[in-house]
Amino acid sequence: MSSVQHSRPVFNWRTLSIYGGGLTALIVLFFVSLCYGEASIPLHTVVDSLMGRQDTLEHNMIWDLRMPRTVIGILAGGALAVAGSLLQTITRNPLAASDTLGINAGAYFVVVLGTIFFPGLMQQSPFLFAVLGGLLAAAAAYFMGGGRTSSPVRLALSGMIVSMVLGSFTSALHIFFSQETQALFLWGSGTLVQNDWSGVIYAWPWVIGITIVALVLSRQWDMLELDESTASSLGQKVGMARATGLIIAVLLAAVIVSVIGPIGFVGLVAPHLVRLSGIRSNRLLLPGVFLWGAALLVGADVLAKMVHNSSLELPTGAVMAIIGAPWLIWLVLTRMKAANGSGMSTSMSTGARSRRWAFGPIAIIFTVLTLALVLLSTMFGGMRIPMADLLPSLFQSDGLYSAIVQLRIPRTLVAAGAGAALAISGVLIQMAVRNPLADASIVGVSSGAGLGAMMVIILWPGLPVFLLPIAAIVGAGLAAAVVFSLSWKKGLNPSAVVLLGIAMSAIAGAGIQVLIVRGAVYGSSGFIWLTGSTYARTWDQVKIIGVFLLILIPLAWWLARRFELLVFDDNSASGLGLSVRRTRLLAMTVGVLLAAGAVACVGTVGFIGLIAPHMVRLLTGNKLRRSMFLSALVGAVMLVLADTIGRTIMAPTEIPSGLLIAIIGTPYFLYLMYRSNWRKSA
Amino acid sequence: MKKSLNGFLLLTVLALALTGCGKASSTTDTNENASSGSTPTEETAGPVTVKHSGGELKLDKPAKRVVTLEWTYTEDVVALGVQPVGSADNANYKVYVTPEAALDDTVTDVGTRDEPNLEAIAALKPDLIIANSNSNIYDQLNAIAPTLEYDLYTGDGYNYDKMTETFNNIAVALGKEDQAKKVLDELDQHYTEAKDKLAAADKSEFHYVLTQAFTYQNAASLRMFTDNAVVIGTLAKVGLVNDWQPDKIEGYGFSTVGIESLPAVQDSNFIYITQPDDDVFGTAMKDNSVWKGLNFVKDKRTYQLDSTTWTFGGPISSKALVDGVVGAITQ
Repeated sequence: MSSVQHSRPVFNWRTLSIYGGGLTALIVLFFVSLCYGEASIPLHTVVDSLMGRQDTLEHNMIWDLRMPRTVIGILAGGALAVAGSLLQTITRNPLAASDTLGINAGAYFVVVLGTIFFPGLMQQSPFLFAVLGGLLAAAAAYFMGGGRTSSPVRLALSGMIVSMVLGSFTSALHIFFSQETQALFLWGSGTLVQNDWSGVIYAWPWVIGITIVALVLSRQWDMLELDESTASSLGQKVGMARATGLIIAVLLAAVIVSVIGPIGFVGLVAPHLVRLSGIRSNRLLLPGVFLWGAALLVGADVLAKMVHNSSLELPTGAVMAIIGAPWLIWLVLTRMKAANGSGMSTSMSTGARSRRWAFGPIAIIFTVLTLALVLLSTMFGGMRIPMADLLPSLFQSDGLYSAIVQLRIPRTLVAAGAGAALAISGVLIQMAVRNPLADASIVGVSSGAGLGAMMVIILWPGLPVFLLPIAAIVGAGLAAAVVFSLSWKKGLNPSAVVLLGIAMSAIAGAGIQVLIVRGAVYGSSGFIWLTGSTYARTWDQVKIIGVFLLILIPLAWWLARRFELLVFDDNSASGLGLSVRRTRLLAMTVGVLLAAGAVACVGTVGFIGLIAPHMVRLLTGNKLRRSMFLSALVGAVMLVLADTIGRTIMAPTEIPSGLLIAIIGTPYFLYLMYRSNWRKSA
Repeated sequence: MKKSLNGFLLLTVLALALTGCGKASSTTDTNENASSGSTPTEETAGPVTVKHSGGELKLDKPAKRVVTLEWTYTEDVVALGVQPVGSADNANYKVYVTPEAALDDTVTDVGTRDEPNLEAIAALKPDLIIANSNSNIYDQLNAIAPTLEYDLYTGDGYNYDKMTETFNNIAVALGKEDQAKKVLDELDQHYTEAKDKLAAADKSEFHYVLTQAFTYQNAASLRMFTDNAVVIGTLAKVGLVNDWQPDKIEGYGFSTVGIESLPAVQDSNFIYITQPDDDVFGTAMKDNSVWKGLNFVKDKRTYQLDSTTWTFGGPISSKALVDGVVGAITQ
């Protein structure tokens, strides 16, 4: 009896603080939100309009412009938070949310696709398109991550990759069909701006209805919180509950994406905020999560409006990322358990089971292939140069094709060099973090470089052009330095590095969004830079990438023996006398610098650092020096090929190389993931 | 900065020297002379010196084969009675710029304005290229042909004086100074005639705000033009008064705002440009209570201009703008 008496007051107090605090925050933010806008409206006018609306411009602005925005913020924040909570429960993963699982990106991609190819159908039911995209993306991320056996980090990485892939495809659609998509959310970071109540009218029945369904099924979610063996003993219900939870989460995310575009982090932050209070039962958890999700998003929107200058307003999604990413950092630093590497080393060695080929013949074949492709690249473009004319054009300054050849050679060399650098970077970073899904972008290098470059392009467009690569390198270095220094306390644990990198990428990505919106007139050229491009590269870039390669490749070659020991788990490596932390830092630093050099020359090209090491590992196993050599060739081939295709097939318009890499690389990568999982289950 | 400028000038000199070496071994194309036969005005012959953002560019003779990489320059060249051999983004030029400055089918599309195709430009063998200063490909363009670059949006932005200055500079490069003077004189005459029409309709000193509007992030986005915009400078020439006076002036010549900013100017007259497939006031805003509550909407003082009214154009666009505005507000 006394124990019962003791627990009830504590329980009630916590519940009350969560609900009372959330409700108070939401009410305050509601009024603040109604007061802020381009026109100045005092609080008493807001109160007057709520008490009794009159047909004045101020009242109309409050009721038909500001309140729809605030209400959609409440619905969106609540829905995304509930979706995040469910996803975390069904995947037993504290990092799951509709954005980390790629659901937002998938829903958004299919909405864009529908707008281009099925505009009439899209007009009637954008929700169906978003649901379809969200479901496909969620399924892809879940199974790529290893399904039920996935670790939190691997699932987060899979979701990140799915988002990257779909983001690239969305970018491709935007470039190829710029006319049809200009009315959509151009930068896809989400905004709450509304012209009327139609978005709210459309969304609220779905959000409230689906949330009620989730609430009714509270016991199902509670069951999934139990440990695996207890849950399994209940048999088939576990699978059914997971599937139901996934569908509910996707529906919630999809309805929101179809109205306001993808907004990240609220689905990740709100559930943790509420769980911190100790609430465990989903019957109490879900309403609290909805409440705090709503408060968080409306708060982010208020901040976005506050920062508004005389020209432009920040996207709410960018502000939400700036709020949410530090939260992810805090989660990693304070609550992450020390993971031993045994699980990951299994993943790392998946590729090694294939039959190995002799290194010599493979090296010769790849070298010949690279040289042949460089030659072909010089021949093809908007105008084809016959082989017989190629050689004279190289040495005559006034030949028939001289001007064109002089344009092609440096960009081909830059593409080859940058591709090689990215590939070697991928080899080193995957080895250092013992995760086959890693490349430089996961330690924030791509986003950091992108942010540095965008600052030069947009904030100081008058600055000399040569500062652009320097800014990119500085941005990349700073991002990596932050990630490394924060994870140093975790002994540069691979999981910590990955998660901190994701947070850093999100912060830099939000900064990029802000700059793009701010520099709308120049947004298009910045956008192409962010996609990754070999356009108009000159001998200056050849020199830059050449210097990086000449310094860093010998260094990596020399350190290769030490780096190889990182493949073992930390205990084994330490037993061999290796300073694991220092060696890991060294490997990642070299990898990051190579990636920074490449990014400085061609912008942010994804996937090469991810794919090239895998292709090579299938052939040669884990010998680092061989992997470096062959990966460099594969990376060079990939980027030179993308460059040649990109400037040929839609001439005179060019397709950025980064998009082609994503389009070419994705099917292979999905096959790789599928194969990896199939082999594991065999 | 001084160091950079010296380096830049050195590069320019080197580029010119290289160009000169290249020219020495080439033969003059006699066909090029045929295209100038139709011009009644006598042309400048001999070497010319043109001012641009990079300093001064010297040409052995006026340019005949011009490639333009921004619509503003395309229009300027057309206004001088010349068709460029290549220009950027031709398909959209047709959509957004007045048909009075139309391009012939002979003009080759050299790719997008942001990333013009360098090979396509080189293949045309131009003798002059005109580009924006924010381009990072100046050296490569200059290796193909002498290149003028202009920075339209720095300083006071692309205002009326900069429009005429840029136009006159391009005329010098093409040896068409007389034609340029004729165009600008006719434009001034056009302003005088427009003023007379406005006076006859009792619309002298007509107050207005001018906007280019579109849907952005699912909501109405309005570019409200400020006094440093060439379009406002043009309308000032016919005596109209711009009521959009924000605290902060942007280099691009407009503020980007939403519907919420319109009540502050609801007693003015509303002149707007939208695209046919994105007529935000005819669709999304049509039933909006804030929009419908504005005085210029209730009093039916909103005026729509043709979608090909190009707000960053040259003298032909200025004439088209005046015709459009006078036509709209006097009927």
